[in-house]
Amino acid sequence: MFNVFKTIGNWIGSVFNNFRRIFRKDENSLHSSSSDTTSTLSNTNATVNESLKDLSNLQENGIGGEAYKDVLDIAEIVPSPLEQFSILPLIPMKIGNLYFSFTNPSLFMLLTLSLVLLFVHFVTKKGGGNSVPNAWQSLVELIYDFVPNLVNEQIGGLSGNVKQKFFPCISVTFTFSLFRNLQGMIPYSFTVTSHFLITLGLSFSLFIGITIVGFQKNGLHFLSFSLPAGVPLPLAPFLVLLELIPHCFRALSLGIRLFANMMAGHSSVKILSGSAWTMLCMNDLFYFIGDPGPLFIVLALTGLELGVAISQAHVSTISICIYLNDATNLH
Amino acid sequence: MLEGAKLIGAGAATIALAGAAVGIGNVFSSLIHSVARNPSLAKQLFGYAILGFALTEAIALFALMMAFLISFVF
Repeated sequence: MFNVFKTIGNWIGSVFNNFRRIFRKDENSLHSSSSDTTSTLSNTNATVNESLKDLSNLQENGIGGEAYKDVLDIAEIVPSPLEQFSILPLIPMKIGNLYFSFTNPSLFMLLTLSLVLLFVHFVTKKGGGNSVPNAWQSLVELIYDFVPNLVNEQIGGLSGNVKQKFFPCISVTFTFSLFRNLQGMIPYSFTVTSHFLITLGLSFSLFIGITIVGFQKNGLHFLSFSLPAGVPLPLAPFLVLLELIPHCFRALSLGIRLFANMMAGHSSVKILSGSAWTMLCMNDLFYFIGDPGPLFIVLALTGLELGVAISQAHVSTISICIYLNDATNLH
Repeated sequence: MLEGAKLIGAGAATIALAGAAVGIGNVFSSLIHSVARNPSLAKQLFGYAILGFALTEAIALFALMMAFLISFVF
């Protein structure tokens, strides 16, 4: 009875192997016969049986083991889930000691930029679209309307005109993170916001801008943000330090929050889908039956990641508004 | 030896998730409490709760990031 299951499992496995070989890109494996694959698989089984007998050595039976590597080879999975974040120069350029290469992040930034601009252009063509918006126009209006609401809610004590000045910057930041996060969820694309070089660059420049706005608005009174009113004088030095550190840490946390969300989310999706794919390639009926488990977890995680992509854009925009409010109004 | 130590370190880094779990539970329990007291505010409170959830979850992801760094980068 068990042999029958085993045979069916092997058969299903070889069918999948053939599919896999069709989609495989390198020539050598395309030309290798299916008997070759089968012999590799039986070798793997033999290695697994052997290593089951001797469980003493981690190097033989654990991650470094022969059987594990064979399974990885069969499933064609790169062991590191961080592989997807590698930056590759597409058009290498080098000026002196500086690298100005056109890399895949730049390509995807240009892609989203053109996407958003086209999106807005087609909706607002011929002087402002329709009075009864269609689906695309409502989407653009939704995104556009979202930001002024945030600005009006979070920044207080200013007249509408002054708030209006901050709106373009915050709106661009919001659309930047929103579209980059969402675009990263497309399979085989690149997530620009999963690099803390980019998110930290964004948050530090915003932080410098907010500080400049604070000095412009309040003059040297801006420095009073580090000392709450009515504090006894002996406590002042400590309090200045205590207020200054969190203030500077905001710039860091703004960038790292976005980066960590994107990086951790994409890595965990990759790890789980790798586990699902390895189970599929194990050539065993029981693994094949159990495979929908990790597959559905991957689906659920993808849904969660979509939600996180939107909510992180929202959260970083709200934080920027709060920091701006603190800088202009002091506390 | 180093491999084993790395795995132990990465596992230990995830202990921090206990705190994040408490935080997220706290956010949503407060949401339920407040909605039970004043159901008419449900929509507004849900927005705040999602904001709090995202902020707390980010802290959890810092721990996860450390685990990834320990196990894959070093």
